[in-house]
Amino acid sequence: MIAALQSAILQIIIILAFSPLISGIIKKAKAFFQIRKGPSIFQPYYDIAKLFRKDSVVSQNVSWIFHAAPIISFAAVMTAGLLIPIYITSLPLGFAGDLIAVVYLFALARFFTALASLDAGSSFGGMGGSREMFVAAMVEPALMLSIFAVALNVGSTNLSYISQTLSGMGMDALSPYQILAFVALFIIAIAETGRIPVDNPSTHLELTMIHEAMILEYSGKQLAIVELGAMAKQLLIFSLIANIFFPWGIASAGSGISALVLALLVYMLKIVIIGLAMAAVETSTAKWRLFRLPDLLSISLMFSFLALVSFIIVKGG
Amino acid sequence: MAEIVFGSNTMQLLIALILVSTFMILGSTRLYSCVRAFGIQSFLLACVAGIVAYSTGKNDIYIIAVLTLLFKSIVIPYFLIYIIREIKVKKEIDLYVKISPSLIIGGGLVVISYYLIRSINVISELSSFALSASMSLVSIGLFIMISRKKAIMQMIGILIMENGLFLGAISLTYGMPLLVELGIFFDVLIAVLIMGILIFRINRTFESVDTSILKNLIG
Repeated sequence: MIAALQSAILQIIIILAFSPLISGIIKKAKAFFQIRKGPSIFQPYYDIAKLFRKDSVVSQNVSWIFHAAPIISFAAVMTAGLLIPIYITSLPLGFAGDLIAVVYLFALARFFTALASLDAGSSFGGMGGSREMFVAAMVEPALMLSIFAVALNVGSTNLSYISQTLSGMGMDALSPYQILAFVALFIIAIAETGRIPVDNPSTHLELTMIHEAMILEYSGKQLAIVELGAMAKQLLIFSLIANIFFPWGIASAGSGISALVLALLVYMLKIVIIGLAMAAVETSTAKWRLFRLPDLLSISLMFSFLALVSFIIVKGG
Repeated sequence: MAEIVFGSNTMQLLIALILVSTFMILGSTRLYSCVRAFGIQSFLLACVAGIVAYSTGKNDIYIIAVLTLLFKSIVIPYFLIYIIREIKVKKEIDLYVKISPSLIIGGGLVVISYYLIRSINVISELSSFALSASMSLVSIGLFIMISRKKAIMQMIGILIMENGLFLGAISLTYGMPLLVELGIFFDVLIAVLIMGILIFRINRTFESVDTSILKNLIG
């Protein structure tokens, strides 16, 4: 009991400590690709620390939802963090839920952010909220299908079981359905983390933004919580990709301290590589028109569908 | 031994990637990326032929693989790009069916071809993946031919169909006689040349390669 609590707290601390860093690394890498100097990779930490010292300005017209939404979203993301293997396959909350619970915890976080964006009654907030739901409605089926392709391959929807089995399989884990599902999930990760073909994380141009428009009304401590929640969600999606598709080097339950440290280092390496890939994608593509997004997301849907079909053809005979 | 080859992981991976490249053609709106995806598809097909040649030990198939690599993945894509440059066609593809519906139809065609292949009693269970991929390549190629307006896309569609037939032939028979393969090969090459000349003629007569205006009378 105590050990489970300890590992849960440790996992939360690792997620919170590492998620601003990966945002900073992506920003720095983008600046490098664009031949700019760019801010330090620790800039997101300074930003969040600054925001936590400031007071919040809140509109007089908002209801309790506006105050509750950042906390509910943050708590949902953190709960999802306890269901996703980070550096060790044994999960503190592994008995309580699986992949499907992770998907719906992310959906809960998104739902409350969108609700809060409508609450203040500003036109930009409502626009951001409606766009976010528009993207979400197309992301979720693709996410579910690609996850089911992986789950069918392993025979379980439990994430710790999936990464343990796949890391034991060695290079055999690179089956065609696995790779198709990986491509699908990578496109979904671009949409979910609000990166360039879908949303521009660094824009403040009202006509193009999605996530930034939703949180336009927040300031001070509440904004800090919202930003930290978004960064943690990004890190969690990257770790989902890293530990489902490239699970090699993850520690299993009962490993020694040195094995755990090694697993943590390998995990950080994997996350940084995924982040650099994201930065490369962001630099090399232009932002798509909102109404072209269904094309991108139906490509992702098609990849996960092909993953499922090829699994059925190969295994089902 | 030959049956093991088609069940092996590498082979499944290659066939899955061939399907992916087909969907890349189906999902893109740019002529250049369609041609590039076709080149990748032919390259993967040459890899399939190479693996079959290696595992069966037949020298004929090596020749086929090298020819596929040379002509289908290098010469024909460059020829297509040459045509696109020469006639200065607009780089966007005009469609009868929009991108996301055509992707969904493509997925449906894959499922249909799987069920069609499953109803045939295939010799080995494992080559059913290769066969259903070849069947879906043929049907998706046909779909591209009827849903795209540009004459160049119809050329790419028929080349995809040909690639599908090649995949089916090599996965069923592990290589036809060399003479037959060479015959098919030069057939394709000449067909591409003739279609290229035809596209130039269409462009000169109608000042566009849009096939939807071919219905108009020119007096």
